[in-house]
Amino acid sequence: MSDYENDTDDNNAVDAANAQEAPVAVAVLTHIVKNIVDDPDAVSISTSVGRGSKLSLDVSVGPGDLGRVIGRRGRTAQSIRTVVRAAATQDGVDVDVEFIDD
Amino acid sequence: MEWVETTGISVADAKSIALDQLGIAEDDAEFEVIEEPKAGLFGRTRGEARVRARVRPAVVRGKPERKPRASADKRKESSPNRSKDGAKKERSNSTSPNRTRERPVVRDTTDRPPVDPDKVGEVAAIFLTGITEAFGCKGSVAVKRDEDEIEVTVDGDELGLMVGPRGATLLAIQDLTRVVSQRRLGDQVTRLRIDIARYRERRREALGRFANKVAQEVKESGEARMLEPMMSADRKIVHDSLAEFEGVTTRSQGEDAQRRVVVEPIVTA
Repeated sequence: MSDYENDTDDNNAVDAANAQEAPVAVAVLTHIVKNIVDDPDAVSISTSVGRGSKLSLDVSVGPGDLGRVIGRRGRTAQSIRTVVRAAATQDGVDVDVEFIDD
Repeated sequence: MEWVETTGISVADAKSIALDQLGIAEDDAEFEVIEEPKAGLFGRTRGEARVRARVRPAVVRGKPERKPRASADKRKESSPNRSKDGAKKERSNSTSPNRTRERPVVRDTTDRPPVDPDKVGEVAAIFLTGITEAFGCKGSVAVKRDEDEIEVTVDGDELGLMVGPRGATLLAIQDLTRVVSQRRLGDQVTRLRIDIARYRERRREALGRFANKVAQEVKESGEARMLEPMMSADRKIVHDSLAEFEGVTTRSQGEDAQRRVVVEPIVTA
């Protein structure tokens, strides 16, 4: 589990629709989440219309990985949002990041 | 990792002074209250609160396995002199580097092999390279290591987006890089800092110059100056750069986001 690996392919969870709407934000989000979770292959990102008609990037992760991306007191989730929102300015859109529990 | 010992009029006060000294947020700190202030007559407090603090060793998993009790007891044994009478003595001793070095390692790391700081730097560098590329930015990533302290830097033009307003994005990236390197390596001992586009370095320099300018004015006018609210890391820079400045002293006051440094003249009565 502490194996050191660097095999994350950042783009295989990104479908074409996401990539069109906010390619930079999605690439950044994918890179971050895949590096935090236990199971990078289970990471998927979809989009929906969020609050205030912002683009919502909805992240789902493998079983047991949700706590990891949210972190203590939601700190990791907050950091992810900060970075991804910054990235989204490259795309010219406002985004929200939601972590889906399923 | 080293402990700092601070005093204040209340425990909360002593804690936040400790946070300033360590340059970290409360979440990242571990405290031990050594002495509570004693209530005196007419609601005055006699004696100061004394706390000990250090950077909380990052624990990613296995929280249930921690044995804080046992380690706390061990620490107590190593410094029996913490009674009220011994407090003064304790204080002068505890600042010597030897003492802090001798402290037993508190967290058990026995279930993990020792982490190679170079590996932490390497993982951090790979993660940051990926972020930089994902941002569509061009930057070169370098790792500097000084014993257990690691600084990973991203240099290049047009990295402002990754720094963000007042370094907010940079801080978030640093946070995530720590999560990633701990996650991958179970790192518990290494302190990892990130700098992007030399933001921190320049901020350190600028803040140091500003602090010195204010200190000079305070010294000349004899009037205390209150600086704007800053994060603990920035307050630490101010405290540090004025530590050697003759004729003034610094302290922090206020709560949370309103916490700010006050530069005061030392009055020789």
